[in-house]
Amino acid sequence: MADSSFASAPLGAPAPVSATAPAARGRRRMLRALVGGLVVALPVLVIALGIDLLAPGHYRHMASIAMINLMIVLGLQVYMGNSGIVHLGHSAFVGLGAYGVAILATPVAMKALSIPDAPLGLAQVQLHPLGAALAALAVVGVIALLTGLIIARLSGVAATIVSLAFLIVCHGMFLNWPALFKGNQAFFGIPREIGFWGVAAAAAGTVVLARLFRESRTGMQLRASAQDMQAARALGLDVTRLRRRAWILSALICGGAGVMFAYLTGTISPRAFYFQQVFLTLAMLILGGMATVTGAVLGTLLLSVGLEVIRRAESGLDLGFVALPQMLGLSGVALGIVIVLGMALRPQGLAGRLELDEYIATTLRRGRSTAAPGTAQGEREK
Amino acid sequence: MLKIEKLSVRYGTVHAVQDLDLAVAEGELVALLGPNGAGKSSTIEAIIGLVAAGGRVEMDGQDISRLPPELRIRRGLALSPEGRRVFAGLTVAENLRLAAATRRDRAGVRADTDRFMELFPVLRARMHQPAGTLSGGEQQMLAIARALMTRPRLLLLDEPSLGLAPRIVQRIFEVIAELKAGGMTILLVEQNAAHALRLADRAYVLGAGRLQYQGPARDLASDRLMSLYIGG
Amino acid sequence: MEYALQQLLNALAFGAEYALVALGLAVVFSIMGLVNFAYGEIIAASAYAVLLAVAVGLAAPLAAVGLAIAMGILASVLLERVAFRPVRRAPLTTGLLTAFGVSIVLQNLFQLFISPRPQALPLLNGLNQTLMVGPYAVSSLQLMQLATAIVAGGALVWFLNRTTLGIAMRAAAGDFATVRLQGIRADRVVAAAFALSGLLAGIAAVFVLARRGSVAPDMGFMLVLKAFVACVIGGFGSLAGAALGGMVLGFIEVGLLVLLPAEYGGIKETLTYCIVIALLLLRPEGLMGTRRELGDKEA
Repeated sequence: MADSSFASAPLGAPAPVSATAPAARGRRRMLRALVGGLVVALPVLVIALGIDLLAPGHYRHMASIAMINLMIVLGLQVYMGNSGIVHLGHSAFVGLGAYGVAILATPVAMKALSIPDAPLGLAQVQLHPLGAALAALAVVGVIALLTGLIIARLSGVAATIVSLAFLIVCHGMFLNWPALFKGNQAFFGIPREIGFWGVAAAAAGTVVLARLFRESRTGMQLRASAQDMQAARALGLDVTRLRRRAWILSALICGGAGVMFAYLTGTISPRAFYFQQVFLTLAMLILGGMATVTGAVLGTLLLSVGLEVIRRAESGLDLGFVALPQMLGLSGVALGIVIVLGMALRPQGLAGRLELDEYIATTLRRGRSTAAPGTAQGEREK
Repeated sequence: MLKIEKLSVRYGTVHAVQDLDLAVAEGELVALLGPNGAGKSSTIEAIIGLVAAGGRVEMDGQDISRLPPELRIRRGLALSPEGRRVFAGLTVAENLRLAAATRRDRAGVRADTDRFMELFPVLRARMHQPAGTLSGGEQQMLAIARALMTRPRLLLLDEPSLGLAPRIVQRIFEVIAELKAGGMTILLVEQNAAHALRLADRAYVLGAGRLQYQGPARDLASDRLMSLYIGG
Repeated sequence: MEYALQQLLNALAFGAEYALVALGLAVVFSIMGLVNFAYGEIIAASAYAVLLAVAVGLAAPLAAVGLAIAMGILASVLLERVAFRPVRRAPLTTGLLTAFGVSIVLQNLFQLFISPRPQALPLLNGLNQTLMVGPYAVSSLQLMQLATAIVAGGALVWFLNRTTLGIAMRAAAGDFATVRLQGIRADRVVAAAFALSGLLAGIAAVFVLARRGSVAPDMGFMLVLKAFVACVIGGFGSLAGAALGGMVLGFIEVGLLVLLPAEYGGIKETLTYCIVIALLLLRPEGLMGTRRELGDKEA
């Protein structure tokens, strides 16, 4: 029952399953997810290559930031897209990841200036960047595990509110524990270990990871539970555990994005991991469509470009014949409008329910046999 | 009084009702019958405006198919819905009070309340209890009283006997007979065809969303009905 | 002794403010299933209306109170018409995100058209005076907050239980479609819920203004977030729970204020949320909540 009704999840791409054993079926499904993930990751790499070859230098930095944002959006998608619960605290994990490597990997001489009184003798510690990244992710993982214990037990709305409260708690910690986080000031001197292609590789890898999770047993069961909680419980699915897993993976991805951000820019401050970033990444995911990894990629791409245009307008625009004044808040208005209109006009986002590879497969199949009966979607028995 | 032309209800790609024509004249009791999933409830919900439908619904010669449910109620329609759907957290009195919300004749409301208490004596003792604590039969009686409280000229009853004990079903049908005797026009959806046909003037039988039979209720012999149900 | 009484009143006043705002959220949520993240901006809109009135020379405190309340009602009803009606039947998540988007838009519009920085508005500071009650010095604002919360709560209970519109709102919280079957206009019930919610927002705006003496784009957001937390503590969707949750939150905050040394003032918020999260560990469904699952909205 569970397998027949829920596990056939990718609509429009029915698996050729009949007599194969479940294990083999599972392997084949994950293989297809891997290929699908690569198909979705391909445009990311192509665009990166294009920018590397053609665009002027400062676009490389902008593109790097956009790809880090993509990682954050993917982290958001892993939890929100699969569980159907709104998550507004993911930037806290980005911040934890970034501050984690900042504290662990920054040279001791630099820390003697910035955080000489760090607790646990952390001012005297300097790890290898990779070791620091792993340690930072371990901290993120532990915090995600602890918060996940609570969040996953709450109903949808309460989970959303608590995720937001978590963001505020972390932000408050960054601000009010200057001995460790340098408070309101920028934390500088982090070794700049990652370049353009490092970020691109991480983003592409995250695309594949998010896709693999989506098609995994946990991912599918979680999506099924988001569709119908009662049915999922009746089938014996432990929804709390499923949500917790998605929450932890989501946190690790966001934390990884934070690590990348710190290693890319070398300077971080608490403000970077607060509401502004939450709004931005949320709008990206909503615009693209949170049900799919493709949606996360598409939304990030569109809004990154669109927002760059708006940002220029925001800092005052000289149109030649007329100079527009500085308009602080314009990008915020634009983001909000994207969210509101997206919800009103196309709540499933631009990408809808199909991943890019599924869309291509469906189109090809339709082209091959025009007489094929359309796959019935969303039938409702009355 | 009520006239329906080419009514269609779709859920996604599934046609619940297709091209249904149906009419109810003043003072009539019309039974709408058919097996499970035939489209009876969809028809009722389309008439009252709870689901979007194609085609035309006329009340007193005026097209009401674009009106929201609340305005159809004000045109003289009322529905006792399937599954009763009494407001569980509200008391019996509050349930009735809501149904009278659009009425301005306070004395009439009071008189009606008294009349319903006579019709359904079990409700009188429970006036100030939450409706959710009532038994299924009591809830059905409240649902009918609530529908009547809006002063309908056409009463739609959707499966009033569903899931009730035989003795209670008996009582419900007695009440329907009394209402008919009092001149109420009624469109009755029932699974219990034998009961419904005993009271009805005319009957429509639906199958798979389409009209299978219409005519005087007494002409619908049991063997004929049986074959309609089984899909002959 | 005096200190203890002082802090008790302090806690009650904080709690009253949270309870008021939480009630405003819960009224809309229980009927519409809408998690109204834009509620803080309704409060801010009320405050900005007063700011504009003062700018054009209308500087009577009493008129300002009336204006704030009127603006709260207007903004709330208007938002429902413009932004929330298109997603009325959509899943919970859609409504929540819409409201979140509206909140971002409004906050940034305040920035864009007025100023990102707080604007001084001392008009209502007069409400906040120190009174001597016997030997005790108490804040008039705090007394007013407490009294208003009690009156507003009582009026709300009366309205929901004694008026037809109030009964319709309670019925709509359970089964909206069937309310329409009684011939009651759905839009009217919804508008009433939003008006009621806006009224409470207006009152809250008055108190916030009297306390801060300034307006800022995000002045409502943090308050509303706390009110949401109050709703979660009390049990989402329950009116009584919202009021209780607000009070509990007030007592937690003031308790921390009393217990924490002054130099740790900065982590008060952080600790408050930590305590709240711990509370939820004990009772995930809230103090007065029945568990409400995602997707229950239609049921």
